[in-house]
Amino acid sequence: MAQAGQDAKFFQRGKIEEFRAELQAAETKDKKYVKRKIALKKIVANITMGNDMSPLFTDVVQCLGTPLLEIKKMVYLFLVSYGRSKPDQIHLVIPNFLQDCNDRNPLIRALAIRTMSYIPIPVVTEALSENLRHCLKDRDAYVRKTAAICVAKLYTADPRRAEKGGFVEMLRDLMLDSNATVIANAVAALSEIGDRQDGVIFKLNLTTANKLLAALGESSEWGQIYILDSLLRYVPEQHSDAQTMAERIIVQLQHANSAVVLTTIKVLLYLMNYMEDRRLIDYCCKKMGPPLVTLLSSGPEVQYVALRNILLIIQRRPAVLKNDVKVFFCKYNDPIYVKLAKLEIMYRLARAENAPEVLAELQEYASEVDLDFVRKAVRSIGRLAIKVEAAADSCIQALLNLIETKVSYVVQEAVIVIKDIFRRYPGKYEGIIPTLCENLDLLDEPESKAAMVWILGQFANRIDNADELLDDLLYTFLDESVEVQLALLTASVKLFIYKSKSDTAKDLVHKVLKWATEEVDNPDLRDRGFMYWRMLAINPAVAGEIVLAEKPAITTDSDRMDRGALDQLLLHTGTLGSIYHKNPETFIRNATGKALIDSPALNTHSRAALVPLTRAQLPPTAISIPGPGPSEPRPDTVEPTSLVPLDADPEHESTDADAEAETIDDAGSDDEEPTVRRRPHDSSDPYSNLDSAFGNYMADEPRPMTAGNHRGRHNDEDDLLF
Amino acid sequence: MAIDGLIVLDNTGRPIIQSGFRSTSTAYPLLHVDAFNSALSKASRPQDIDPVIYVPAYNNVESPSACCHVSCGDIRFLCPVSGDDPLFAFAFLRTFIDILYEYFGNVSATTMKENFDVVYQLLEETLDSGGHPLTTSPNALRDIVLPPSLLTKLLSVAGANINSTINSGSGLGAAGGPFSSPIPWRKAGLRYASNEIYFDMVEELKAIVNKHGVTVSSSVWGKIETNSKLSGTPDCLLTFTNARVLTDCAFHPCVRLQRWTRDKALSFVPPDGRFVLAEYRYSPNPSTTPASGSASATSTAIANLAKDNVPIPFSIKMAIDLEASGGSFDITLTSRLSTRPLENLVAEFNLGEGSGAIKCVASRGLGGFGSRLGMESGVPGNIGASWAFDSNKKVLRWEITSIPPSSVWNLHGSFSTSTSVPRPAHALQVRFEIQSHTFSALKVEQLKVTGETYKPYKGVRGRSIGNVEWRW
Repeated sequence: MAQAGQDAKFFQRGKIEEFRAELQAAETKDKKYVKRKIALKKIVANITMGNDMSPLFTDVVQCLGTPLLEIKKMVYLFLVSYGRSKPDQIHLVIPNFLQDCNDRNPLIRALAIRTMSYIPIPVVTEALSENLRHCLKDRDAYVRKTAAICVAKLYTADPRRAEKGGFVEMLRDLMLDSNATVIANAVAALSEIGDRQDGVIFKLNLTTANKLLAALGESSEWGQIYILDSLLRYVPEQHSDAQTMAERIIVQLQHANSAVVLTTIKVLLYLMNYMEDRRLIDYCCKKMGPPLVTLLSSGPEVQYVALRNILLIIQRRPAVLKNDVKVFFCKYNDPIYVKLAKLEIMYRLARAENAPEVLAELQEYASEVDLDFVRKAVRSIGRLAIKVEAAADSCIQALLNLIETKVSYVVQEAVIVIKDIFRRYPGKYEGIIPTLCENLDLLDEPESKAAMVWILGQFANRIDNADELLDDLLYTFLDESVEVQLALLTASVKLFIYKSKSDTAKDLVHKVLKWATEEVDNPDLRDRGFMYWRMLAINPAVAGEIVLAEKPAITTDSDRMDRGALDQLLLHTGTLGSIYHKNPETFIRNATGKALIDSPALNTHSRAALVPLTRAQLPPTAISIPGPGPSEPRPDTVEPTSLVPLDADPEHESTDADAEAETIDDAGSDDEEPTVRRRPHDSSDPYSNLDSAFGNYMADEPRPMTAGNHRGRHNDEDDLLF
Repeated sequence: MAIDGLIVLDNTGRPIIQSGFRSTSTAYPLLHVDAFNSALSKASRPQDIDPVIYVPAYNNVESPSACCHVSCGDIRFLCPVSGDDPLFAFAFLRTFIDILYEYFGNVSATTMKENFDVVYQLLEETLDSGGHPLTTSPNALRDIVLPPSLLTKLLSVAGANINSTINSGSGLGAAGGPFSSPIPWRKAGLRYASNEIYFDMVEELKAIVNKHGVTVSSSVWGKIETNSKLSGTPDCLLTFTNARVLTDCAFHPCVRLQRWTRDKALSFVPPDGRFVLAEYRYSPNPSTTPASGSASATSTAIANLAKDNVPIPFSIKMAIDLEASGGSFDITLTSRLSTRPLENLVAEFNLGEGSGAIKCVASRGLGGFGSRLGMESGVPGNIGASWAFDSNKKVLRWEITSIPPSSVWNLHGSFSTSTSVPRPAHALQVRFEIQSHTFSALKVEQLKVTGETYKPYKGVRGRSIGNVEWRW
């Protein structure tokens, strides 16, 4: 016990000179190397605290001769920390490295090559590549498995040398090793090399894939993850190949390690694209649900990752978890990020059968304390009304009850969703408009205000005092945000068209048009002002037809991700991409994109939605070294056709075309998926799309959208349900 | 499929231990520590920080990354990932924390500092610089990283066989050295004077009850915690009389999955020491799980809602009056068990921002066995129930150490708030334990040990804990 207590005292700032003296004193009369051990411990502790110990380089290296493993480890730790910064002195250690590479003890052999691989200096790399060759064929599995990983390190340090030295081929041979851990590490190293943009391409054929599968049972959990993940590099040529493989890995769903489970699910989802047998596909879907639910019993962090992934999976395979909405009910003590993620899933899983339960839960959440969560809960009630017609009545009632609470942010959210409900069920719920008008004063946020203004304008013919209410709102026109100004402009025009006889309406519209065209700097607002003005001047009747044209009813079919984009995202199950719902290559520069690869076995539904991957086709030997200054623009000629015009932003198009200040924002996010992906990540600024990548993380909550933006989405539904 | 490294922060947000980060620049770990600390300072509750924090690159050469983190005791583990694998990171963190517990008994800033050299060796062995996990099985690790001496002593007293090789310094000895075992999770050549294996079946009920007293959702998660002290290479076969109550199982890698799929028996060669053999979910009505029914599932879903629920072992009646700047409450809890007591029950009630001035009376009502009531009321001032208010978290805690069958307990009182509208939580969080009881009534039929000649001592225990949200 005394020893354990003493170690804390090593965490004291020490002077370089003192340590040096201590090490020198330790050279004599050092029984069992205790003194050296203590001195080295102090030095290592100082490294952790961030103190620069590099001046001790020569002194510490002296200790390498000590035949004690513990001391050797500490010296190697020191070398790993400072070796890189001492290129002129590192040659002093090379003889020790070489000696250790041939030590009798496999632990020391492995330690030596591992340490060498951490120091990317040419002298060391050279010495390493000579020894690595032997170590890859070492009789001890521990050395072989360490050597396999070292190849990946060598490749990072010097790709040419690694390729010329035949190390990649040696790794390939290691995939057939007798030891499962060695196999797994070889796969890990190959994957790492294959993920590099300049690396060799790592693909698996059926024979190798089967060999790897055979090693699966004996591997450690991490090995299993590597092996399973590498199966995505195998493209089945026949339905039966995919099916057999799925049957073999499905048992891994019962593994205790959550990463193994999710990787297995990823591979299953991938293989399902190449399957034909509906019954097997259904079976896989059924088998996937329970392990996903099991992940929810883990810590909140794993829950969060699981929930974000579940959200993706159920969009692609709605059969998974379709009867399990109850496991996603939120508890008061759940962390907020878990609650928000659960809320989205509850909405996705809501159907006519479970809508009453879901609604009861949402009402419960609407009375909680956390502002953000309450808002999302209220919004979800509205979305539920839009999604499940049978539940619309009770949802409206729930919203009205919430409005009665007069809690400002609750009322605002309610108004926003009610606007969408009006559009979804025209002519059904307009009776509640007076209640909304009573709460006009509570609205102080642009979005809710704009929504209320839209309602006022759209139903101006049913609201007796619409002109008064609008007039009140117009007092602050010039101080409002653009969103509200646009809504006010349109609403005034609508009011005028409904009540063209009324003088107040005429005054109002005149006032607003004048403001919009003369006093406001925003070009959108000004342009729209001019457009209305001219329309009204040229032909008021036609203007009426345009402005009050029948709007397409909104549905929630479209608030699902694009099918091809989903397929691609699901290849990233369990990864950052699945959390942010973006393909990693769009926000992580060195990530390689993944895409389904066409093969005779790819089933027709998946092929129809196939989005080819545009991996930057660099010359195979080119090695990009990012230099200082602005990131180097890669030649656009690589993929000239794949550049989607950046200004294809639906928001701008539609604000002009569709004279409604409508909720198109989310339509954008949906369509943006393929856009962002097709944009090569190595365009002139690699981070150009970052903002949208992460901004959307918040924005991509399911929201009702205008059907107009989603032509032809209905066909998808059949696909998705199979 | 790799993580960049690992950083351990103390409760002031300063790094105490970090792995190499050799493939990145030196600023990289600092960037993550910074990102985490600033996220922490912004969060209203420390547990509300996003578990995956996006960390933008600080210049054009680096790429952006994400910081995965978990807390454990008074320290935080950060795991930066610049590839794309948060779940991999979390799984690794979990494993690493388990290893630390295995080595040091508890995990805190103090133990980390006291044993930093061991922690470093563990880091070296479990995670290589490319972020690939290496050896994470405690059995194999013990061969290459010497546990702190105290633990070594304890283990040798307890009869665990630590290879003499690890003490000899060279790392290689008679038993064949590290990784000589053909089974990755089990050491070779174990010898015990007395061979024992114990199974603890621990089940946790997680449920939500709505204001009408109807269970909205409930699930039971079970774990078979095992402690194995067996010599040689024993092959165990564990069978249950009612294996069908187990659904959604997840097993330790030692379990032969094909065998379970075929005949619902657990066949395994156990690791040495403590491990979790299996985790499962218990559903009271397995015939309605999606695995068996197909078309019928939808139509019968509603009918099954009630049947799917596990009965809650108590009921609560809550009456709460809210007025301007305060309120009063009256909570009555009745045990629904008929034979066993509920133990260590803790009910937590968050009274919301600005609450204070709590006045409460915790008492025992009528009901339960008369004799017991007499006995307990005979001890003045100690009825076994108490309450306390945590003024930081604004949580009222009501604790009852033991609730005899069918007994009734009451807590009533009042509070005031500094805000005009009191906003207490709409739910009571109740935690409890029941000894020698499992919700699933899972029963071990037999444990057969083959491959060795000795007859081990075997033990099975059941225990239940509960975590119920009761809304009002």
